[in-house]
Amino acid sequence: MTDVMLTVYHLYPDLLNLYGDRGNIIAFRRRCEWRGIAVQVREINLGERIDFTDADFLFLGGGSDREQDLMAEDLSSRRANLRDAFEDGMVTLAICGGYQLLGRYYRSLSGRVIPGLDLLDFYTQAGTTRLIGNVAVGISVPGRIVHVSGFENHSGQTFLGEIKPFGRVLSGHGNNGADGTEGARYKNVFCSYMHGPLLPKNPALTDYFIRLALERRGRDGFLAPLDDGFEDAANQVMLSRLKIL
Amino acid sequence: MPFRLCAAVWAGKTVAALSRMLGHRGSSLPGHVALRIYPGTLRALARRAKKGVILVTGTNGKTTTNNMIAQMLSDAGHSVIINREGANMLPGIATAFVRSAGVNPAYSFDYAVLEVDEASFPRVVEQVNPDVVVVTNFFRDQLDRYGELDQTISFIRDALRKLPKTRLVLNGDDPLVAQLGRIGPETTYFGLAPHGRVLDTSGASREARFCPLCGTDLHYSFYHYSQLGLYECTGCGFERPEPAVQGWEAVSSVDETTCRVVLDGRDFRLNLPTQGFYNLYNALAALCAGSGLRLEPETMLKSLYHYKPEIGRLQHFRHRGRPLYLNLVKNPAGFNESLAILLAARGSKDLYIAINDNAADGRDISWLWDVDVELLAEPDLEINRFLCSGERAAEMAVRLKYAGVSARKIGVEPRVQDAVGEMVRGGGDAAYLLATYTALWPTEKALSTMSDGK
Repeated sequence: MTDVMLTVYHLYPDLLNLYGDRGNIIAFRRRCEWRGIAVQVREINLGERIDFTDADFLFLGGGSDREQDLMAEDLSSRRANLRDAFEDGMVTLAICGGYQLLGRYYRSLSGRVIPGLDLLDFYTQAGTTRLIGNVAVGISVPGRIVHVSGFENHSGQTFLGEIKPFGRVLSGHGNNGADGTEGARYKNVFCSYMHGPLLPKNPALTDYFIRLALERRGRDGFLAPLDDGFEDAANQVMLSRLKIL
Repeated sequence: MPFRLCAAVWAGKTVAALSRMLGHRGSSLPGHVALRIYPGTLRALARRAKKGVILVTGTNGKTTTNNMIAQMLSDAGHSVIINREGANMLPGIATAFVRSAGVNPAYSFDYAVLEVDEASFPRVVEQVNPDVVVVTNFFRDQLDRYGELDQTISFIRDALRKLPKTRLVLNGDDPLVAQLGRIGPETTYFGLAPHGRVLDTSGASREARFCPLCGTDLHYSFYHYSQLGLYECTGCGFERPEPAVQGWEAVSSVDETTCRVVLDGRDFRLNLPTQGFYNLYNALAALCAGSGLRLEPETMLKSLYHYKPEIGRLQHFRHRGRPLYLNLVKNPAGFNESLAILLAARGSKDLYIAINDNAADGRDISWLWDVDVELLAEPDLEINRFLCSGERAAEMAVRLKYAGVSARKIGVEPRVQDAVGEMVRGGGDAAYLLATYTALWPTEKALSTMSDGK
């Protein structure tokens, strides 16, 4: 269909291979393949020599404290390269810990400030209660607003500066449980607290990411429609339960 | 017997009788009521164990291991109190005692054998002083995120430190469990020697990466599954301890699992009337605990040979000569083991997967994406039909589809009754039914009604 090969960078899968996050990689890949778009997934491990500007889609997940520290250390040595790729329009999905890391800092309950990569304008403050549960978010993609469902589980509360949110909370907590925002978006960098299989059951979002990646390569972003019966049903089960029309 | 304890036991018994009359399984309410009336109920009743209290904790295999130990003790002629499956937090454990206890203060029993929820363990041992604690394994559960497993283990470790006289029976193959061995005055380990099963180290979990004691990389020369195997820390020298009870030459077939095991210096064969390597671990844990209680090897092995699986632990049904197997799935490790059984079976199959997301199942079903569902896309497997059921049936269908299973083979029927009906009428040589906790009971009920029986 198209002669382009999209390259997916999956960051630290051996470290962060939990929480079902790999569902996002699987969904991106499958939905490309079903349309004849070639995809290669590169699993990037700590210390590996890479150039982010080679990537079309970057996935950055979350982990427990120990893993997150290792990830932060590794990424801080690649900060300039990552910034270049962001500016260049690389499509990125950063979840939970990966999201927080891209911001200015994380302030713990004791007041200790842990610097972030300071690539995006937001900060995170540790909260006293975890924000856990199913969540529905309205996210605008060209021409419409899609209702996305997911699951959040975070104690950090994120507050946005001069940056747009990823979407508006329809049900659930979102960034901080107070201002109705969920996630953050800068250029083609999308950040969210919706962990686990966000892309599989929200195909409109996945296709939007694929389209952005193709257009960045100067290709036509038209994607042949697929049968999304199962995906829509899975999403609808949750939206109905959360009473979102 | 102090008046308040007496009142608490009576009230608990009354609630138990009422809830039975109403047809509830309600297995925690009587204990709950008794503890409200007299908080010391559990402490007082647990002291009536003449020979000992045995607690079984860990992520997977608690119920099975616990029942195996109780059966062995009872076959050896001891009187035993046991909690019902799943009733493994404080009120459920209190219920076990209230149900069995007479109001006569002289009433006593030989052993209490209790499965204890990992997170409740510290609170339970404040009330019940165990003689033996068995730990089966620690796996990342669906509820576990962001190091909650590490936290649970550290709470159990702290609780064990306060029990200086308790003997420990630990899974030596699990580094997360074996690390507890340095605490007790007497620790015995059980384990499984490397066997012929194909290894896939890519399925090894994060838990296998780092030494739980010093954080350095762990080196494995063999994996059974998840982080269970032959490990050695490259930093502090922590390694798999030599098991006192070890299974050798393990073989699993359609209806039994066997291995060699040395007990009392003699060579025996352990035969279990069920599939799945994980059941060998449960049996080895029970043998290890039983040996410590001086039970005869012959008695223990005979007990295990006649062991009947609990509801939903690879429970066997039959309809018009066709077998149907029901198994509980609650986390990636257990789900992968269920798939391993399916992959090893010959003939054509129908597969049913029921996923609920109630509190007891875990509200977050992201863990389904950590299961190696991709294995099911193998065309040689001869799976005719994949039927998804339960409240999150559609999401399971998405998981199967993205694993590469042909969408034409996938069905969605959220109503358990109807989905089970389709399985019972199915065309495959055998049917496999997997269900999360709250989907298990309705599935079992529908199977019992619709099939020819067990």
